Order: sequence, then structure tokens, then C-alpha cells
Amino acid sequence: MNKILRTLIPFDIVKGLSITGKHFAKVFFSANRRKVPFHITSEYPEVPAKVQPRYRGRLTLLKDEQGEIKCVCCLACEKICPTQVITIEKGKKEGRKMPFPVRYDFEMERCIFCEFCVESCGFDSIILNHQFELAAYNREDFSIGMEGLGQNMYEPSPVGKFSVADD
Amino acid sequence: MFKNEEMEINLGPQHPSTHGVLRVKLRLDGETITHCRPMIGYLHRGVEKICENQTFFQGQVWTDRMDYCSAVANNLGWAEANEKLFGITVPRRAQYIRTMLNEFNRLASHLIWLATHALDIGAMTVFLYAFREREDILDMNEAFCGSRLTTTAFRIGGLREDLPPGFEKLVKKFLAKFPDCIAEYENLLNENRIWKKRTIGVAKLSAEDAIALGVTGPVLRAAGVPYDIRKAFPYAAYAEMNFDVPTRTEADTYARYLVRMDEMRQSARIIQQCMDGMPEGPVMAKLPKILKAEVNEVYHATEAPKGEIGYYMVGEKGSGNPYRFHVRAPGFINLQALPKMAEGSLIADIVAAIGTLDIVLGEIDR
Repeated sequence: MNKILRTLIPFDIVKGLSITGKHFAKVFFSANRRKVPFHITSEYPEVPAKVQPRYRGRLTLLKDEQGEIKCVCCLACEKICPTQVITIEKGKKEGRKMPFPVRYDFEMERCIFCEFCVESCGFDSIILNHQFELAAYNREDFSIGMEGLGQNMYEPSPVGKFSVADD
Repeated sequence: MFKNEEMEINLGPQHPSTHGVLRVKLRLDGETITHCRPMIGYLHRGVEKICENQTFFQGQVWTDRMDYCSAVANNLGWAEANEKLFGITVPRRAQYIRTMLNEFNRLASHLIWLATHALDIGAMTVFLYAFREREDILDMNEAFCGSRLTTTAFRIGGLREDLPPGFEKLVKKFLAKFPDCIAEYENLLNENRIWKKRTIGVAKLSAEDAIALGVTGPVLRAAGVPYDIRKAFPYAAYAEMNFDVPTRTEADTYARYLVRMDEMRQSARIIQQCMDGMPEGPVMAKLPKILKAEVNEVYHATEAPKGEIGYYMVGEKGSGNPYRFHVRAPGFINLQALPKMAEGSLIADIVAAIGTLDIVLGEIDR
């Protein structure tokens, strides 16, 4: 008898619908949707994405107080990179004791954002910044060098905002 | 050989319910499957060979990309295999943090399993709710190591960095609400008549068959074998943790669902214990500058969310690369049970059988 009753009256469906209904009511009966703490979707392109302090974004060369590039071409990052995306050419600059990178190429297409390069750097001269939007329209835009190709390490990529971390 | 009325069809490789690029060759008699063979290799990247050409240190990034739903668990197995090879002892605080992150990863993996498995069978709501909780775990991953999915969380000898400030608050917030969330999923599914009809008695795999095929993880435990590497051969800080190994004896899809739900509760318990008993101290052991192995081989198995993940490494004298690198992927071994589960059942049930094995093709094809 009990079994027949349970088959006839869909208790399970009522139970499931009550859960979804509860969640629906929570959001629906609050006047301003944005203030509801239960609101879990983010309106991404309008509201910028929040990233954590340790977020791993695009590789960036840092400068010291004099505005000079900190990198001294020890090639540690080039060696440790699992996908070989960094190419450095050693050179000299007038008025500078340490070697100076004439070329510092970074192929973002192949980069896997593992942060091994930053970890291996003994001079704290590179960092993965907090740029969230890393898309670009052309393939060339992913080949990032110090200068050239209309784009360098210190300027925003064509899509998205970008800033050099200053620590 | 075909009989008169038999027909051969392909399920996949682009079928959404095959969880990636799995192709299953089916021979049907009406709606009954008489022959079933999974075809793999569409996502083969040669991870093992790539790792042999790179240093021990670099190998970790490839383990992230095998089973992308449980990257932290893969990292843990890789790190511990390396530490075994070089004879490094990891500080106790690092062990606790590793254990905690591994359990968070188990939750994330089981949640994505629950979501997609329920979606395959026809329950859309659970999908949305499970992804809501998984989002919190991925945020914690991002807070700890900077990346959500391909974590690269550990290093040989410990961790790169300690827990970030404010991490404990995130964990506390998560643990406070998570039991209610599990209750919500169970209310939606446990008594649901469609869910029960689609799962009870479907895709059975007896304990004898499971052991013979080398199946591990929740699929084995749902057949009544209480084998869990965390208990059997404790690693990381699991020897100090107090938890149960949930088992069932029905060995069907519904039993596997219940086992995974219980495992999620136990994971939350382990995380709570890790937070309570977190020791102070360093998180990184002292290491030589360049890791060089003497000729030595090592096999280290850990309990990933999907089963036993084992790393086999052979070091070469004077070389910084592994001479041989092999992964015993749980998904690869578990998939071999698919013909046993599906043959003789209806074609509609093969979706449940694939879902219940919890496979990720990135790991199977490697």
C-alpha cells in the first residue's frame, strides 16, 4: 500500500523542486540582485575579473629605481622553461657593469604559465603580472620582445588592461 | 563475426557524454550491446617521452595536464616519487598542506564527476549546484599557487610558498557550508525515481572482476573491497589522519555514487583535521642545486580521486633527466572494465557506465 502511494504521489519530485524553488526565491525576492550574497554568477565583461595576489599572468621584465632593466642575462629562466619560450641574447650597454639583454623574446603562444622562470630568477628581475585578458587578434601579437612588432614588455597588449608591477 | 541482425556503431569520439575524445565501438543486437571496445589515443601527446627529455624538476607541468580535473593529486604523486628517488624528507608542515590541498582536489574532482554524470543521465540541476562549490575550491587553488586548473602546486622537497594570508578563512567558510551542499545533492538525487531507475543495477562489476582487471578507486570500493592507498600504504600526512574508507557491496552505478558522496564527507573531515593540527615550521627541505640521481628505480603509488596513480621513474647516473618515466593512470586501467560492464546491457546504459568510471581522456591517452 505504502509503495503504491509512493509511486502515485511523486514525493521525490516535490523534494527536488523545493530545493530549486528555495534557491529561486532567495534571489527573486530580493530587490537588488547585485547585493544578494547568494548571487554566484559574475557579470564578467562589465565587471572586471578579480584575481588573487599570486595569480600567474603574462611574463614581465621589471625595472629598478633608475628605470633600468634588472635582468643580467644569467639565462636561468631560459634553461628552466619546460616549453622553451624564452630566448635571451647577451649584450653590453654603456655605463652598465652587468650584462644587458639585447634581446629578450617571449613566445606567449607556447607559455604554460608555470612560473618556473620567476622562481629560478636570482635577481628578482621578472614577474608574472596580473593581466587577466591575454587574448589577441593576431598571432604575431604573442611573440613579445623587448621592442619591436609594435609591442614591448612594458606596454599593454592590444586587448585588455595591463600594468607593470612595481615591487 | 556478425550475426544476422547485428549492427555496428561508433559512440564518439566527439560525443559529449564520452567525457572527451573516447570512441567506443559497439555491436548491437536490437538495443542490446553484444560487443564493446573502447578506442583510445585521440589525445596522445607523449607525456612520458617528453618527461624523459626534461629535467626532474620540469616534469611536474606535464602531470598537471594529464588528469586536468585532479591536477593537485597528480602533482602529489609526482613530487613524492621524486622525493623517494632522491631520498628527501619533506617538512611536516608541507606534508599537512599537501594533504589538505589533495583532499580539496578530491572534492573538486568528485564534484565535477557528480555534475557531469548527473547531466549525462538527465539531472541538470545538480550540475549547476556542484559547479558552484567547485568554483570555491578553484579559487583556493588560485590563492595558493596562482592557477586554477593547471596548478603546479608542489616542488621536489616541499612547497614553493607557505599558505597565503587569509587562506584559513576561506577554508573555514567552505567547510561551514559544504555539509549542507552535500545534503542538497543527496536530496536532489537519492530518492529521485529517474536517477534510481537509471543507476540501480546498471553497469555491475563484481569484486572478482574488478580485482582481475586491476580496477582501483571508488569503482573497486563500491564492489566491497576496502582498498584505499591512503590507509593501506599511508603517504603525506595520512597516517596521522582519522578517516573511514566508505564501501558498498552492490557494485552498481548507484553504489558508486553513494561511495563517492561518502568520500566527499570524509575528505571534508580530513581537511578539518589538517586545519586543526597544522604544525609550524618550514615548508621546503634543503636541496642540492641540481638534482642528480644515482641509478635507481622507484614506483610510488598514491590515491588520486579516480584510483591508484603510480609513477615509475628510473634515474640515470649523472643525468638530470629520468631515464624512464611511466605513469600508471587510474583512468586508463579503469576503462578496461567498460566491456565487462556494458556487454549485455542496453545501449542507453553505456552512458551511465562511462560516466560512473569517471574517466578523463587527457590521462588515458597521456
